[in-house]
Amino acid sequence: MNTISIDFKSFVEWDNSPFILFNHLGKILYLNNAAELLFGHVTPKEIYDIALSYAPQNFGYKTTTLSLNYDAFSFYAITVGYENEEQIAIRLYNKPRIKQNIILQKEKLITTDINILLEANIALFKIKNKNHLELFTDQDIPAFKIDQNNFSKLLRKVLDTFRVSDSIFIELKLLIGEHIIIAGKKESIVQLKIEANERDHDVDEEIAALTNNTHIACSLKKHSIRLDIPLIH
Amino acid sequence: MEQFYTKSEQIQNIIKGLTLTKTLFVSSIIIGEAHTGKKTLVRTLFPETVAVSGNNQKEVEAALEEHNELIITDFEKLNNQNGLQFDNKRIIAIANHPGNRETIDKLFAFIYTLPPLRDRMEDARYMRSHFFQEACSVLMADEHSFSLENITMDLTHNNQSLKKSVYEQVIYRNMKSKEIEKVLYAYLLEHLDGNNAYKEYLALYEKPLIEAGLQKFGSQLQLSQVLGINRNTLRKKIYEYHIN
Repeated sequence: MNTISIDFKSFVEWDNSPFILFNHLGKILYLNNAAELLFGHVTPKEIYDIALSYAPQNFGYKTTTLSLNYDAFSFYAITVGYENEEQIAIRLYNKPRIKQNIILQKEKLITTDINILLEANIALFKIKNKNHLELFTDQDIPAFKIDQNNFSKLLRKVLDTFRVSDSIFIELKLLIGEHIIIAGKKESIVQLKIEANERDHDVDEEIAALTNNTHIACSLKKHSIRLDIPLIH
Repeated sequence: MEQFYTKSEQIQNIIKGLTLTKTLFVSSIIIGEAHTGKKTLVRTLFPETVAVSGNNQKEVEAALEEHNELIITDFEKLNNQNGLQFDNKRIIAIANHPGNRETIDKLFAFIYTLPPLRDRMEDARYMRSHFFQEACSVLMADEHSFSLENITMDLTHNNQSLKKSVYEQVIYRNMKSKEIEKVLYAYLLEHLDGNNAYKEYLALYEKPLIEAGLQKFGSQLQLSQVLGINRNTLRKKIYEYHIN
């Protein structure tokens, strides 16, 4: 079969694993859709440095097994290759994910203005803590369905982990261009991000447990916590 | 309608939290010492809501079946807290102490702690003035006859002890000698007994006499002159009654 006439580009474009082609200065020459999403969570410089570190000694391709994690993205291997001094490509292999079968219990969900829940939880936090707090929120986020009681418990625990910090930054926004499929329906995502100079990690497991069996994705980092909440109607 | 007064920032944040979640189906609990005003606060914000007491487990369980919005007082007295189901209900609970913290943490989304009155002196002074006016009106006393600032505050049991101490002081300061006689008469009528009663009950008169005298005149010398008794006699009585 003559493969020269076949344009493989679209296969790479729609590959579920990220693929990036850099020039010798680290500038992106090409990236596929998966890589575009990945760069929302890691800088191109970081990936370029990984490509250089794991590049084969001579022209060619080298696959290395390693574990890389960037928020919800997890990779188990990379292939780095170059055929000239000008360009270097890297492909990151998605770790296979077990499909979680979470049943959406709509009867437990109540249409809610998330800003009210957030504000009430901030008021609760302020009773015990004097930390400087900055809130950036989008008041236009439409009301959506959420388990009010459980989400409030989650917020309380999340905010509580920041009680040791001097200054807390809270941001609530609607993610543009990212969606989640729940019960066959494409839903938008609201992101709540809380950052500070310090954070307690004692209850991280409890926080993770509270997001289990919900469609809320939780990312717990050293100085920040991010909740991706589906905007269920 | 009940009203709740506070200048405390902490309590204002509790009010803010409760007001914001008024329309939401979340469970909240207010924990604080007895007589800090928890019930008044909740009643002010939720005047129409059905309230049940944790003293009666069955009543609480039945009310939870029937209502989506419920106030549960004396929550610490409920036996089977773990078995309660608060999903999709607006629950406002009140407790004098947290009991099992793990259970409280599991059941409630909003856990508020109401500070005692001794930690919020501005509120305490306001309540003193409130109880003072109330006492003057109830006891038909002239509120201009003495200064509010001279009324000492007993905050050991929050509003309860404060109210009691204010009422007592209003009564004491408005008593005429005839009324003091009546009080003594009633007291002695009930307690007089034994074979040394004269000496025993003389203390009712002598002890406050010397204490007030020392407070007012400072020195024993001056007091003995005012009382018209010998200085040694006075010193002996001070020793007898263990007066400092």
